[in-house]
Amino acid sequence: MSAQTSNSRTTKNPLLAPLFSLIVPGAGQLYLGAREAGSAILVATVVLALLIQFTSEVLRIAVIETAFFKTSWLWFLLALFWLWNVFDAYRRARGLSASRVFGFAVPILIIYILAWQVTGVDFTRLVTRFDDVKYIFNALLHPDFFTRDTEQQSGWVTIQVPCSPTVPPPPPEYSGFPVRIDRACGTVGDPLTMTGEGFLPTTSGNVYWLEYDGTNEAQVRMNDAPVVITTDANGQFTSQFNIPSFAARDGLDPDNPVVQAVEARFVQEVGPPKPSENFHILIGSIAQEPAPAWMVNLGLVAPDATVPRIVPGGIWVTIALGLMATFISVAVAAPLSFLGARNIMARVRGGTVIYYVTRAIFNFVRSVDTLIWAIILVTWTGLGAFTGLLALSIHSIAAVAKLYSEEVEHIDEGPVEATTAAGGTTLQSVRFAVIPQIIPSFLAYSLLRWDINMRSATIVGFVSAAGIGFYIFEAIRKGGYQEYAAALWAIAIVVMIVDFVSSIWRERILHGERRAAATPQDLQAPPKPFYKTRRGILYTVIFIIVFIISWNLSEINLEKLLEPAPTLGSVIYDYITIDTSVEVWRAILRQILVTIFQALLATTLGAIVAIPFAFLAAKNITGRARGTAWIYYAARFVLNFLRSIEAFLYVAIFVFWVGVGAFAGMLALAVTTFGLIGKLFSEAVENIEEGPVEAVTATGANRLQTIAFAVLPQIVPPFISYSIYQWDINIRMATIIGFAGGGGIGLLFQNYVGQLQYHKAGAVILAIVVVVTIMDLASAKIRHRLV
Amino acid sequence: MLRVENLTKVYPNGTVALKDVTFQVEDGEFLAVIGLSGSGKSTLLRCINRLIEPTSGKIFWDGIDVTAASPNEMRKIRRQMGFIFQQFNLVKRSNVITNVLTGRLGYVGSAQSLANLFSKHDHDLALKNLERLGLKEKAYVRADSLSGGQQQRVGIARALMQEPKLILADEPVASLDPVLSHSILKYLEQLNKEDGLTVLCSLHFLDLVHRYATRAIALKDGKLVFEGLPEAIDDAEFKAIYGQDAQRVSII
Ligand SMILES: Nc1ncnc2c1ncn2[C@@H]1O[C@H](COP(=O)(O)OP(=O)(O)O)[C@@H](O)[C@H]1O
Ligand SMILES: [Mg+2]
Repeated sequence: MSAQTSNSRTTKNPLLAPLFSLIVPGAGQLYLGAREAGSAILVATVVLALLIQFTSEVLRIAVIETAFFKTSWLWFLLALFWLWNVFDAYRRARGLSASRVFGFAVPILIIYILAWQVTGVDFTRLVTRFDDVKYIFNALLHPDFFTRDTEQQSGWVTIQVPCSPTVPPPPPEYSGFPVRIDRACGTVGDPLTMTGEGFLPTTSGNVYWLEYDGTNEAQVRMNDAPVVITTDANGQFTSQFNIPSFAARDGLDPDNPVVQAVEARFVQEVGPPKPSENFHILIGSIAQEPAPAWMVNLGLVAPDATVPRIVPGGIWVTIALGLMATFISVAVAAPLSFLGARNIMARVRGGTVIYYVTRAIFNFVRSVDTLIWAIILVTWTGLGAFTGLLALSIHSIAAVAKLYSEEVEHIDEGPVEATTAAGGTTLQSVRFAVIPQIIPSFLAYSLLRWDINMRSATIVGFVSAAGIGFYIFEAIRKGGYQEYAAALWAIAIVVMIVDFVSSIWRERILHGERRAAATPQDLQAPPKPFYKTRRGILYTVIFIIVFIISWNLSEINLEKLLEPAPTLGSVIYDYITIDTSVEVWRAILRQILVTIFQALLATTLGAIVAIPFAFLAAKNITGRARGTAWIYYAARFVLNFLRSIEAFLYVAIFVFWVGVGAFAGMLALAVTTFGLIGKLFSEAVENIEEGPVEAVTATGANRLQTIAFAVLPQIVPPFISYSIYQWDINIRMATIIGFAGGGGIGLLFQNYVGQLQYHKAGAVILAIVVVVTIMDLASAKIRHRLV
Repeated sequence: MLRVENLTKVYPNGTVALKDVTFQVEDGEFLAVIGLSGSGKSTLLRCINRLIEPTSGKIFWDGIDVTAASPNEMRKIRRQMGFIFQQFNLVKRSNVITNVLTGRLGYVGSAQSLANLFSKHDHDLALKNLERLGLKEKAYVRADSLSGGQQQRVGIARALMQEPKLILADEPVASLDPVLSHSILKYLEQLNKEDGLTVLCSLHFLDLVHRYATRAIALKDGKLVFEGLPEAIDDAEFKAIYGQDAQRVSII
């Protein structure tokens, strides 16, 4: 026995393995038959070395420079990893194993150091700029939806500046409400007491210094703050301040004194709140229009009368785009998905080729973000809602079709076999055995997609210049953060509603109870088809109305498709003939690194902050007890609100806060990540099984031990799995975050398109597709292993 | 009459599921196919209506070479052979009568059936077949709300829609408990005796073979190792078919 076991070891020389690993990392492990560990070590070493080389050469990261040499100190960490690998090979050769923690820790450390530097993380800016950012947070809490009419009460009195030995001050002139000052002349800095009466009681106002002719004025300030005057219960006030430096505008010549004026001004909001201008733009308004001819002809209104017309605001265009894109993508993807389903295509001659081509196209199209599609399409159909709709639809068709195809592949083949055995054709099998099986999951995916399209529709206007995205873009450019805030709130409310409705319907479709058994008399006759029942008719009518309205709001204009700009052909040609020059690819590589690393940091940051929140937002932790239920609902709301807004829309806040660049983009991504991942984490906490907890407690373990041995093992794998999934999603989002000032590959793409260098832009797209596809596959693989 | 000549099936992965199998089924017979699981019973039945393409050998159905039939001819041949599956193979979300009507697909044109337009004749036939199997009142309920035995009866009704001359049944009772097994096999017996359908049925348990079959063939590792009357399977034959360690068991 023992001879046999030692035999299997002695065939491999234990000293050879570490020697191999010293020469080529991982080689010793491979030699010992540990194929996975060996190849992982080899790949990790090569990738890390390339990264360190590239970042120190091109980005000057982690560089140490002496008189004799210039290099990256990260090489030192990599050398540590190399040594570990030799040690690991040595241990393995003796049938032991080296610390895996160390083997994972060093590469991860290197990656995070690089990510930190490449992204330009600078948390001190978050602190130093905090005071200025308060202004934005204030605006966010006071969105511009309503205003009130204002009423102004003011009164002024003249004063001579400065006092003059030659010219006596003229008698003061007064205007408006009665105000007095205690001097007839004075110079900058002289103290002055102002009194007034007859104003509205207990209100606050400000003091202004005016040139005599009223062309220029300035608010009077003391100690860096505007002077505030407040009336008492009788409408009187008294205020002391110094003559402001503004008074010196006309010179302070005692021989040529000028007359200026001091004004007390109270601006009062009166009347009820009413929708602001911004509200009308966002939500809608009612316009009066000349009555249409048919109404006049029917005698409904007088010939010159006007009729009210609802003018929908930006949010409705966005809602319509989300709906239309979903309708279109479902209608197109449903038939296409059969071409991408392996089991169906295997039944058709030449089908396997069609299958691979279709899947490749799906993958390509959905790797390229909606916004990028929009930029490409603007060349074809110009600016406008229609282009946004096309971009949304194209991306959505590919994404939905892929899911549909997978669903078709997972059907129960039994009924297909049965229809074939009965002599049915392939088409008949699809109709009677495949379609009935896939309807529920198709519906569920369509609803999920509606949710996603709704979110994308909020930003597509950024490029296509229609809908709420465009509006936000304009508001930020003008510095209108209250308008911006109003848009965010409107979006959050709409998306939260869509999210809620979509998840309820999905739940009902997938897990809803089967219709209750029909009554005996029902069983004798076939049930009415759904579209003939009263509910069916109601739904159909609603659907048609919604469809028509959405159609109109999305400005669908199929003719535009037929009359592209004359340059379209050459543009497409440029996109396809990809630039292969070294400089371009160096720039691309650099920005792709920024994108990947920024997504990595955002995921890490969002996930770390989300962990405590996940427990607060878990029903089984806080939701059940009376005293803590409010925590549950508050935490849920925060998570729901934050994730309902695309990271893209948060970028503006962080650009204001920390400046344009990858760091701002990273922070914006982290906020949405926090919301998305917090929800997933809290669901993982809610799914903790009580059984193991009970079992560990029963052994006499204390609370901490119970958490360590019964709770953590249940939540750590899903947490890691969700985080990797989120990284994948964040990379996709990070490819476009540059459009908003968040750094990364998106900026490069926009620049190339802006310079009409489409062949370079094409190269960027290729790079994005490659990276997104690799991440997609890798993340799926890793998650599969974790579960 | 069905004739199988030198039938061989090699799966793409190299498994030889059938090796040179030759036998003949006369009209009106109830032929049982027995053998251990993995011996090739399902493969054999599926080769007969070409749900699986045979690798070599020939199959003659009423003098027509099934293995050489064009897709269109195959459609006509298939509708004469009703197939009953171990797992029933119903569309669970569709109602019972829709499942039964799919048995008619070999008769209706594509365009017509795609719109779910079956003729009144077909509907009446479906209801008649359901009534015969005691399921008339279940016609408009969803298939997955039925019990296993009821689902297999729907499977039989579906096969009857083809107005077949031959029934191929692949372990029709293997997913059912013993009492239901008898009820299902009695329906098959009825079809065989009263309607004169030829039945080719693979079965796992020998006592069911004794009770229902008029003749039996046995497969072992894809080879035909027995052909004869059920009563002729003595202990020696039994061990040859099922292996040395097997014990005879009775399911009721
Ligand atoms: N699709 C397939 N591909 C490869 N081998 C198969 C396939 N289906 C069945 N087999 C193999 O063929 C042999 C016969 O299987 P089968 O006909 O299902 O036997 P039975 O129905 O008697 O249990 C078995 O070894 C089985 O593993
Ligand atoms: Mg079988």
